Amino acid sequence: MFRQFHLKDIILLAIIGIVFGVIYLATGLLYNGLTIILTPFGYGPMANDITLGIWCMAGPLAAFMLRLPGASFLGEFLSAIVEMLLGDQWGVTTLLSGLVQGIGTELGFTLTLYKMYNWITLLLSATTTTILTFSWDWFRNGYSHFPLSMLIVMLIVRWLSMFFFTGILVKLIINLLNRSHVLTR
Amino acid sequence: MNPSIKLLLLLLISLEISFTNRLFVNLILIICLFIVLIFNKLTWHQFCWLMLIPLIPGIAVLITIGGYGAGHDWLTGWSMVSRFYVYVFAGGVMTFTTSPLTLVRSLEQNCHLPSKFAYGTLAALNILPQIKRNVSTIKVAGKMRGLDLHWWSPTLYFKAILSAIRWSDQLAQAMETHGFREERPRTYATLIPLRWVDWAILIISMVVLQILLIALP
Amino acid sequence: MEQIIIQDLTFAYQKGQPILNDVSLELPLHKSILLSGPIGCGKTTLLKLIARLLPKYGGDCSGKVNLPQGQRIGMLFQDPTMQFTMDTPRHELEFTLGNLQVPHKEISNQVTTALNFVNLQEVANQKLTTLSGGQLQRVALAVTIAMKADIILLDEPFSNIDEGNRQFILQKLTKLQKKNGTTIIISDHDLHNYQDFSQLVVQFHNQKAELLSPQDSQQLLKSANRTHANRITTSVPEASAQPIVELKDYSVIRNRNTLIGPTDLDFILNKVTLLTGPSGAGKSTLLKSIAKLTHYSGKITYAGRNIQKTFPGKYYSQVGLVFQETNQQFLNVTVGEELSLSTENGQNPFFKGKTPQAILSMVGLPDISNRVVYSLSGGQRKLIQNLVMLMMGHKLLLMDEPFTGLDHKSLQKLLTVIKQSRQQFPQTLLIVSHQLDYLNGFIDYHLVLNHHQLSYQGGLHDESQH
Repeated sequence: MFRQFHLKDIILLAIIGIVFGVIYLATGLLYNGLTIILTPFGYGPMANDITLGIWCMAGPLAAFMLRLPGASFLGEFLSAIVEMLLGDQWGVTTLLSGLVQGIGTELGFTLTLYKMYNWITLLLSATTTTILTFSWDWFRNGYSHFPLSMLIVMLIVRWLSMFFFTGILVKLIINLLNRSHVLTR
Repeated sequence: MNPSIKLLLLLLISLEISFTNRLFVNLILIICLFIVLIFNKLTWHQFCWLMLIPLIPGIAVLITIGGYGAGHDWLTGWSMVSRFYVYVFAGGVMTFTTSPLTLVRSLEQNCHLPSKFAYGTLAALNILPQIKRNVSTIKVAGKMRGLDLHWWSPTLYFKAILSAIRWSDQLAQAMETHGFREERPRTYATLIPLRWVDWAILIISMVVLQILLIALP
Repeated sequence: MEQIIIQDLTFAYQKGQPILNDVSLELPLHKSILLSGPIGCGKTTLLKLIARLLPKYGGDCSGKVNLPQGQRIGMLFQDPTMQFTMDTPRHELEFTLGNLQVPHKEISNQVTTALNFVNLQEVANQKLTTLSGGQLQRVALAVTIAMKADIILLDEPFSNIDEGNRQFILQKLTKLQKKNGTTIIISDHDLHNYQDFSQLVVQFHNQKAELLSPQDSQQLLKSANRTHANRITTSVPEASAQPIVELKDYSVIRNRNTLIGPTDLDFILNKVTLLTGPSGAGKSTLLKSIAKLTHYSGKITYAGRNIQKTFPGKYYSQVGLVFQETNQQFLNVTVGEELSLSTENGQNPFFKGKTPQAILSMVGLPDISNRVVYSLSGGQRKLIQNLVMLMMGHKLLLMDEPFTGLDHKSLQKLLTVIKQSRQQFPQTLLIVSHQLDYLNGFIDYHLVLNHHQLSYQGGLHDESQH
């Protein structure tokens, strides 16, 4: 029913992972800056929620480009692997986060049975990613110890970040790619 | 130590401490990882880098949990900070002691990772300088036409992906020309041994970690 | 069967636009064959069809390509940097031998043999990303040696490579052919200096390919080698001429080798300067230095200011680069969008108020505003690229091979547009070009980069055309 991943697809997803990594480097500053600004209000960890969407773009983009089951997971996980191999600051936990993000972005496409590639799929994917990554941060970043009101704000902010980056921005990129007829599937 | 086993051990440690919250266990882990790093010629530069990375997010979490959390639980806050340091030191042990090539070779030989994943990823990693140059050239091409391309500009990603598509095609063709076939078995120039010692280190470390988690507050 | 037999071969990357149409050829084994024809005529396509990379990697194909049984194929690609998987020459060779299932114990010896053959033992453990294009092609040659290839295909292997490395590779190929009877097929748009190497020539023309007889082949290669005069009259700039860019103690060192030696030189304001020199000499590097896209030593000033101290936004509004690689220039999808971006942001008064259709017709193009720019032919893309950069109205426009792939008619039209534009908006042009037709009278100064030195040429002189 679906073809396998070929060598070419794997290289493509890995290069896209690196491209995103190279562009994200600029946002490391943003993350740290936001943390410093928000910390006095007790909202320091929210910098994570604001910027997280940026890190989850590779998955949905890969899914739209290749339209294969597992493409989103592979796109997201491969970018985590290349980031770890390039000496990403968080090391092996990048892999764990990549795994969670990969499953999160993939779920949106699984729920539409890999038949729909439109706004609904992107919204679903943004939502599943928000839920999964938030659950992971419940443990990893100690969210379980945060006050409830703050958690609600952070959850909403995270979903908005996902919606903006993995929804709107990814859709704009996909539109450009579709219009140039470079995606041969 | 075998790179795959090392990766597995570090992943297990990171995973386990994500679900537990013991300041002393974390501190012991940091010391152990630090010793491993020292034996692997940790430079001052690298050390400062490792100390610096978790600082900002660490302080943020500390203030949020201790200052604003229910019960102002500073101990939990500090254990969160120490957890971040475990993550980063574990990452340092992996990246400072094992090259991507060795890790990939080990995953291929010891874990039977399909070679298309192993070498596809390596091929992409090895054109990192070209990818970096390409991103800055795209930005300059934009400026020459009166457009500022930022990290949130779709055009920047679009152009970078166009290059990625072309390069993945070129690299896959080149790999095939150099005799690579997706499903064909390969022989290895460098053999990565997987000894019983590696398994022993893995198992003993995990057992000790469990004991520490039970014994220490 | 001692031939590569190509029968009724038609190939198209995009439906309805065949690049090869009904081609039949019989290429004998154990010979050196040169595929000749302009850029974009289907030489690369034929090589990739022989290597069985096409149609696997795209395109529609009908007809047959038959190879004799058991012939192993090796290939060197046009872009030397995009043909390796691993980080160093040694690892790449190990990878190749592992792919061919050479037993573990023999790999190390075979790697050494291959490295020795191309004389690269010293850089065996260096990162490939630090090697020069010429060294990279030698590594690629070593890979074909390690593979024990019976047929070696070389796709425009020398386009950015210095003469020394080119000679070295050709000499090694000759040796292989004499010793093992290896079949060698090279594609090159430049027939220069092949008369001692190639025995047969295949000429590409209008989607067809034809194998010339040995006599005709030799004739063609010899005549290509004769410098046919291309007269360009220029003078050396006067000392009082006002400079726009000044190089001060400028030099470029790559991989511990001097590419351009320490130079002090001025580029003159509002003049057209042509820069020529052998391939691999560093002409593109000089343009990229001025465009702040590569590192160099010494100082470059623009309008009296160190370019490293000028803000990028401001600098690139005054200095533009026409990239050698056409697609890098484009930022949008359709031709219309590219033109309107330059209309909106451009400063050149000559193009002000002109419709996209009018601008396209100036270079002889029909109204293709709605076409996707990436789907156009190489020549059409080159024309659009030149247009959108001219429209921007940079004070200094650096042009890296801006005439590649243009037919004579398009070239003349483009030159007319540039001349007319310069009458209203006299910008400074610095052009790197192999193509010198119709340039006499258009060029004010002629700069030559040879043996690591830059120097202005004065008077009437002949430039051998490549």
